[in-house]
Amino acid sequence: MMSKIGELSIRHAGKIYDPEGIHVVALDDVSLEIEAHEFCVVVGPSGCGKTTLLNAIAGFDQLTDGEISMDGVLLASPGKKLLPGPDRMVVFQQGALFPWKSVMWNVTCGPLKQGRMNSVEAVEKAAELLARVGLHGIEDQYPEALSGGQKRRVEIVRALMNDPTVLLLDEPFRALDALTKSVVQEHLLELFDFTPKTVFFITHDLEEAIFLADRVAVMTTRPGRIKKIVEVDIPRPRNYRVLTTDRFLEFKADLGEAIHEEAIQAFEAGERELA
Amino acid sequence: MALVQGTGSDVAPTTASIGARLRRSLRNSRVYQGVLGVGVFFLIWYLLVDVFGVWRFAEMPKLVVGVKEWVSRDPVFGVSLFTAEYYKHIWASIFRVLVAFLAATFSGIAIGILMGWRRIFFGLTFPILEILRPIPILAWIPLAIILLPGRELPIIALTFLAAFFVTILNTLLGVRAIDKVYFRAAESLGFSQWQILWHVIVPGALPYIFVGLQIAMGACWFSLVAAEILSGSAGLGYKVWETYYYVQFPTMVSTMATLGFFGYISSALVRAAGNRLMRWRQELLAGI
Amino acid sequence: MNANARPDNNAGDAAAAGRRLTVSYRFVRWLKSLWSLNLLLGVLSLGTIVFIWEFAEPLGIPGIKYVPAPSKVIIAAADLLTAEQYWTGWGLSFQRIGFGFVLAQMVGIPLGLTMAISRFSFGTIFPVIEILRPIPPVAWIPISIVFWPTREQSVVFIVFLGAFWIVLLNTIGGASAIDRAFKRAALSLGSTPRDLFWKIILPATTPSIITGMAVGMGISWEMVVASEMIAGDTGLGYLLWQSFQIGNIAQVIVCMISIGMAGYFSSALIRALGGFATPWLRLH
Repeated sequence: MMSKIGELSIRHAGKIYDPEGIHVVALDDVSLEIEAHEFCVVVGPSGCGKTTLLNAIAGFDQLTDGEISMDGVLLASPGKKLLPGPDRMVVFQQGALFPWKSVMWNVTCGPLKQGRMNSVEAVEKAAELLARVGLHGIEDQYPEALSGGQKRRVEIVRALMNDPTVLLLDEPFRALDALTKSVVQEHLLELFDFTPKTVFFITHDLEEAIFLADRVAVMTTRPGRIKKIVEVDIPRPRNYRVLTTDRFLEFKADLGEAIHEEAIQAFEAGERELA
Repeated sequence: MALVQGTGSDVAPTTASIGARLRRSLRNSRVYQGVLGVGVFFLIWYLLVDVFGVWRFAEMPKLVVGVKEWVSRDPVFGVSLFTAEYYKHIWASIFRVLVAFLAATFSGIAIGILMGWRRIFFGLTFPILEILRPIPILAWIPLAIILLPGRELPIIALTFLAAFFVTILNTLLGVRAIDKVYFRAAESLGFSQWQILWHVIVPGALPYIFVGLQIAMGACWFSLVAAEILSGSAGLGYKVWETYYYVQFPTMVSTMATLGFFGYISSALVRAAGNRLMRWRQELLAGI
Repeated sequence: MNANARPDNNAGDAAAAGRRLTVSYRFVRWLKSLWSLNLLLGVLSLGTIVFIWEFAEPLGIPGIKYVPAPSKVIIAAADLLTAEQYWTGWGLSFQRIGFGFVLAQMVGIPLGLTMAISRFSFGTIFPVIEILRPIPPVAWIPISIVFWPTREQSVVFIVFLGAFWIVLLNTIGGASAIDRAFKRAALSLGSTPRDLFWKIILPATTPSIITGMAVGMGISWEMVVASEMIAGDTGLGYLLWQSFQIGNIAQVIVCMISIGMAGYFSSALIRALGGFATPWLRLH
């Protein structure tokens, strides 16, 4: 039985869409080596291809070029179709808690359906993780009764309950207001310290990227390529005070230039497409 | 409900007298308005038909006579709340609607879900459905009578048919309307195909399904009445026609009212069942 | 790490990628045309059904063998299409639908808008609607015959009734669902109540009204057929019933198909016309 380490290797990944003859190069020769238990954040403007990359790792989309391997095992290549699975569990941007099921059901359905836990264990673990992110007593409610921040935390717990090798987060905090966002980010980091996992996180928010990451990779506007990678060596555990330290601002200056360029190009590209 | 806000009800009464305020709140009370509306309706009926009998209204069933007949212990035409025949007709109709509706619900939902879930099934079934659907339900009566034995089956079949098409269509729409992200989440969570069907597709399509079921219930009653008129021997629809044929107008009114009553109750029951099954929507709808 | 990436290279990259993909691209496109697999499946299922239907009698399939085969239906259609009664039937049925349907819109739309705007009118009228609506229009046929002096009028009344409920509910629903932000924007831009009505409320309600019309058209056909079969002496519905009475089932089927087509196309026509009335929705 192979032990899960959680190394994710992306080599020369390429994705070309072809809707009605118009070639759209979403990803172009993207290579990224993510170490075990590393929190890796890819940051870039909207439409740059970071979601495409995440979808390729998750198995919702297939690469047209390159390969993805996990722990040395080839997962995906143009010839090998990758299916979604709990080992690469996703936390979705717009939220995908099943509205017709209770919070407890949502959170425990993964391990129960896979047969990894019995219901007693699952409920216990769920309650523990939920408590860790500051949610108590909401197990029997339906998701729609929760606030945005609460829903995001539940979804993260749901993902973690499946003990994924790599946790994939697709701009999960995009819809939250700034205050809620900073609180939920801190909870995520606490969870990450408590159960270390390899994390692949995408966002367009540079501050969020630096705050959360061990390594930040800047992606260019379409076609998506890795423009710059920076190690964030701010010590853990981190809290919101980190945001105003000198070290943080250095990183922000360093990466800010790169990403601002891309932002401008993305903006202009948007204009040109419509015109 | 008002689109134009601030037309009086929002204005705070300052020096208005108690009487004026009372009058205003009464005027705005929903119950009061409802009673007023219904009362005016019956009043107009009473005046036009019972009292004045203007123009063709003279021929129409009179309100007072109709009501009296309905509640009398010894009705002139033999049918009232206290006669057995009344309930015989009611049961005949309800039985047919029940059987037809349940059959249409189960088969319609099953087929609709299969069509939404499996493209091949959809490709095979959609064309024939689209061809058959526009044909008015009543136009099927001749074929129903030819193909099905007896008297009951054709009527039930017709009632079934109307509900069947509507249910399939709405179920299909419901499945299509489910946000794709839920499917992705289920796949990531490692659900099997059956688990996706049971935990994502069925609950996700339920809102649309229940809208369809309410429409289907209405369609059931419509086809039932028409079918009973054309080829029945018992039932509320048949009775309406009989009262016309034998000029028993007061009974016609009570029969029509009974039809309306059961039509309303059956739709309300479907709606209530839907609300029960979709408790999770209360929060969603409450937020609107 | 490709730090020198510039989006201007996109064209060059795309061209290179395009050349690489030409063969596989064409193959994929051909595959996709098979996704007119839907077309294939449709032909398959329809073909099978027609086949079974046609040969039900010699094959001895119970039930269906009593239904005239497609070949007989086509012959009956040829006969019917040359019969005067058929085309006058079309005309009369359409005429009744026309009157009943248009009347339903003329009464239903203003009433619906009024009820959506005025809380008082809604509160008083809606309960009466809810009492009358569950009574199936077909059950109104006897009263309609008694009340209206002519048969035509009684049929038109039933058609009216069927379409009326639908258009009323759709109009009320559409008008009530208008986002308050639109009205506020209009008011802050200085529009009068009259402007508000004609420029905001009416256009915003139009999509719902059109849906109500399309559905109402379908219902109208059901009503016209019902009325003609039960109480008419002309029209397509009556023709259908009469064909049944004289035992000409092939003709019955022709009538069924005719009415079905008529209903389908009139609904489609409404939707198409509706598309013209709501150009902002056509961006899809």
